[in-house]
This record gives sequence, structure tokens and C-alpha cells, in this order.
Amino acid sequence: MNGGVFSPARLRFFAAAIVVINGFFPAIWILLTSFKSSIELFRKPITYWPAEPTLQNYVVAAIEQPLFQVFMKNSVIVALLSTVVSLVVASFAAYAIARLNLKHRQLILTAIIASSMFPLVTLLVPIFETMRALGWLNSYMALVFPYVVLNLPVCTLILVSFFQSIPRDLENAAMIDGCTRFGTLWRVVLPLSAPGVFTAGILAFVNAWDEFLLALSLNSSAAMRTLPVGITLYQGEFTFPWPIIAAALVVAIVPVAIVIAIFQERVVGGLTAGGLKG
Amino acid sequence: MAAPLASPTLIDRLRDPSEKTLGVMLLAPAALLLLMIVVYPIGKLFYNSFFDMRLSGGQGSKFIGLQNYADMMKDTGFWDATLNTVIITAVTVPGALLVGLGLALLANLPFKRQWPVRLALLLPWALPLAFAGLIWAWFFHTEYGFINDVWARMGGEPRMWLLSPVSAFTAICLAIIWKASSFMALVLLAGLQMIPKSLYEAAEVDGASKWQQFTQITLPMLMPSIMVALIFRTITALQTFDIPYTMTKGGPGNATETLAMYIHKTTIDYLDVGYGSTLAVGMFVLSLLLTAVYLRHISKQDSA
Repeated sequence: MNGGVFSPARLRFFAAAIVVINGFFPAIWILLTSFKSSIELFRKPITYWPAEPTLQNYVVAAIEQPLFQVFMKNSVIVALLSTVVSLVVASFAAYAIARLNLKHRQLILTAIIASSMFPLVTLLVPIFETMRALGWLNSYMALVFPYVVLNLPVCTLILVSFFQSIPRDLENAAMIDGCTRFGTLWRVVLPLSAPGVFTAGILAFVNAWDEFLLALSLNSSAAMRTLPVGITLYQGEFTFPWPIIAAALVVAIVPVAIVIAIFQERVVGGLTAGGLKG
Repeated sequence: MAAPLASPTLIDRLRDPSEKTLGVMLLAPAALLLLMIVVYPIGKLFYNSFFDMRLSGGQGSKFIGLQNYADMMKDTGFWDATLNTVIITAVTVPGALLVGLGLALLANLPFKRQWPVRLALLLPWALPLAFAGLIWAWFFHTEYGFINDVWARMGGEPRMWLLSPVSAFTAICLAIIWKASSFMALVLLAGLQMIPKSLYEAAEVDGASKWQQFTQITLPMLMPSIMVALIFRTITALQTFDIPYTMTKGGPGNATETLAMYIHKTTIDYLDVGYGSTLAVGMFVLSLLLTAVYLRHISKQDSA
């Protein structure tokens, strides 16, 4: 039985291969594409493996378009800012929900989660109008505030469950030692919830890094584009410059892919605990 | 004699507030943000929809009652976009569920090394939708795309996939299903891992076949995860924007234009805020309706 063509080990290998190919194939294809010269890329029949690998596309992507100094910089600033603000706002709210004797705790949590059910596109019009009136179009603020709201449900859910798992005695002990409530949140609860804060932070960062519609609508000026907007609106002289796009995509995907690869267990845990966001 | 006890100063009260004050202080930032980004915009949305408001002209806004709604009912662009959105939702939600369930069942097998499989599910989730759209557009490229290359090897004539309505639609749906199914799979995989092994052992003893085990144990136990994933997937599918925008920009013509793209075009490109708001109200109602249908379905299942 074992060792045949359909041995359990073989079947398991095929199963793993299907999942892995499905997940990696588009990224690998774009990686291979990015190493082909424009001459090779537009040769027929197309090649799969780069015949003469070159870094020329990366050089062009970095020089002809402000890939690093504008798009990458904007993406990093917006994603980091909105992650930090999301964590502060969500940990405040989560602490109130998890620990304080408030009457409508469940209702408050539901309201925060329900806010994520509203389709962002429908809110686009008034958010655009508001940001326009405030003079915030084409600024980091235009994106940071909406992204914090976008992240609020997932971050709050994750943090509430972490805060609830911390023994109250530890907090009481800190307060007997003269710590204020804010002090216990900062010195006791948050450090003990570090894994949860970290997980929520990664999810918030990826959400902000990926967002497209608001970034396209609110920050469309050339100097304020984030990576998804900048790369999508890349314009070549005549046609869409595919080899350069491929290189730019690799540059934009790699940082997040590394973070995800290192912290995959946490990310999966956070995603399924948060249970939100599709 | 003794000095009167100093009443607590404002600073003292801020340093060590009562439970209720502390609650208000801690919840205030979240509440303010939700007011600014969700509550006020919803109110403004309905308000705007009764006005003729164009930010381009500078003639201010004029109250026109239900005129925008009457216009919307006669607007073929609106109905086409709505139909496209409904079709995308009807195709990609079950599609992503089936593919996601398949991936989850495969990924749940006992592998020696878990990380390649897990990373293969995480990578599509972490990939920005806009990038997924660009990569899939490159797959379907007429001259140099991978799909046409495979198609030609199988003896087919090269096709302009993204330039004919039906195949462009199919390509978009495939890209969405690919992108969405990995998140589905992650949620369902977590659900699968919660099912106690003892159930399967007991079924094995009773002589149940693998298929019976799947339909009698796995599916019913997985139902809660499936429903949660479906609701969120549906709400997301109704907002479909990034992938059609990056793959076809709504073309050919407006064959693949979704409601979100139509709203974006009306508001951001044409700056017609009044009519754009009316369209958004239409979408709002559509998503509320679908959420309600789902919620009813769930509560029926619970009571059954």
C-alpha cells in the first residue's frame, strides 16, 4: 500500500504543492518578469525563465519614477502613522471595554465593529468633501484618520481579548503601589499584552499599506501618491511600461512579504481572532 | 483648628479619575474619529443627495428635492454598474468560498512543515488588491501574457481577453476569487482546526465513509465560520473597485464598471457631489438589504 503512486505521503505532497503554487505563482511570475530585459519581455513566444537576467528594470523604476523617494516614503509614513494612532486609540477603547465598570460595554464594542460594516465607497463622497473643506486633500492627514477608523474594529477586538486575559490582581497590586489607572494601562496592561499589540499593529500596517480607493481619491497629486496609486498610475511614454511595473511591484511587495513570513503565526492568529476584513 | 481638607484639584481628578470619567476619556478618541469618518459622513451623504452640488462650477448648491433620485432611476450607467456589481458578487462570493474551502481542506492535512502552506495562504491576503489586479492584467495581456501563451500551446488562437466584455468579466472574477479565497481559507482553516478529532474517530468506528464524515461532521461544524466569512466577503464584494480599476478601468466601454467605480468617477473625476451622494445612498441601501437577507438567513438557521 504505502509507497505507491497514491501513497498518503505523495498525496500530502500534491496537496501542499497545489496550495503553494496557487499562493506563490503570481508573485513568482512577476519576480521572473522583473529580471527580463524589455527586449526579451516583448519577444514571442514569451520566455518563462529570464534568458539574460538583468537589473535594468529596477534601475529605471528607481530613476525615471520616484519609486523610493516619493511612493515608498509616502506609503511608509502613512502606514506607520496610522498604525501608531490606531494602536493608541484602540488600546484606550479596548481597556475601557475590557476593564471598566461601564454600563453599555457590549453595545460600545458592537458599535465600533458595526462601523466597519459601512461600505467605505459610500463614505468616500462626504469624506472627500470634508477633507477638501479642511484643506487636507493631498496630505498625510487625509489618509491617516480614515485608516485608523478602518483598523479600529480589528485592533479593538484583538486588544479586548488580550486585556481580558490579564489577571486583575496584577493591576490591583500596581494601584496599591501608587500607580494611577493610566499608569497601570501603560506600565502593566500594555507590556503584558505586547503580543496582542504587535499582532494588531501588523494587521493595521498591512491594511494601510494595501488601501487604494481613498489614496487614489484623496491624495492623487504626484508628490502624495502611495505605492498602489503611484504604480497603478505609472505612465510610460506610449504604453504601460510592464517591465518597470514588474520591478516596482517586487520592490513594493517584498517588505510586507518579509514581515508576513517572519510573523506568520501571529498574523494568522490575529486574522482569525479578529475574524473581520475580507 | 485643622486645615480643611483640600478639595481635589482639576489636575488631581485628571490624574486619577473616577471609573466613569476614565471611561469617557478612554472612549473619546475612538468616538470622535467615528463621528468624523462615519457618522457625520452618513448624515452628510443623505443631505447632499437632495442638492445639485457641483464642486467644479463654483455656483454653490441648490436644493432640488428628489430630482437626483429621479435621475438615478433613469440613469442607465447606474443600472449597468449595479448589475455588474451584483454579478461580480454572485459569482465571486460562492467562487471564493468553494476555492477557499478546498484550499483550507488541503492545508489542514498533517504536513511536516506548516510554514510554506501557511505563507502561501497569507501572501495573497497581504498583496494589495491593486497589485493583484495589475499582476492578473499582465497574465491576461494579449501579446505577452502567460494565459495566451498556454492557450496557444493548447492550439488556441491568441485572444484579447480584457477587450471583450464576457472574457474581461471572467478574468476580473478569477482575479477576485484568487485574492479573496486565501483569506476565506485562513478563516475556514481556523474553524477546521477547532473540530475535535474525537468526532472523526467515533465516526470511523461507526464505519462512516470519508464523504459522510465531511458532510455530517466537517460541514455542520464549520457552518459558523462559513457564515461569518460569507457576510464579510459579500460586503467586500459589493465594494469591488481596485481589481476592475487596475485590470480594465471598467472597459471595454463600461462593461466591467462597478457601482464603486461609477461613484468614484462621478464624484472624484466629475466633482458632481450631489449626484454622487445619491448613487452612494443607492449603494448603501443595496448593502443594507443584502446584509439583512444574510442576517435573516442566519437567525433562521439558529432557530431551526
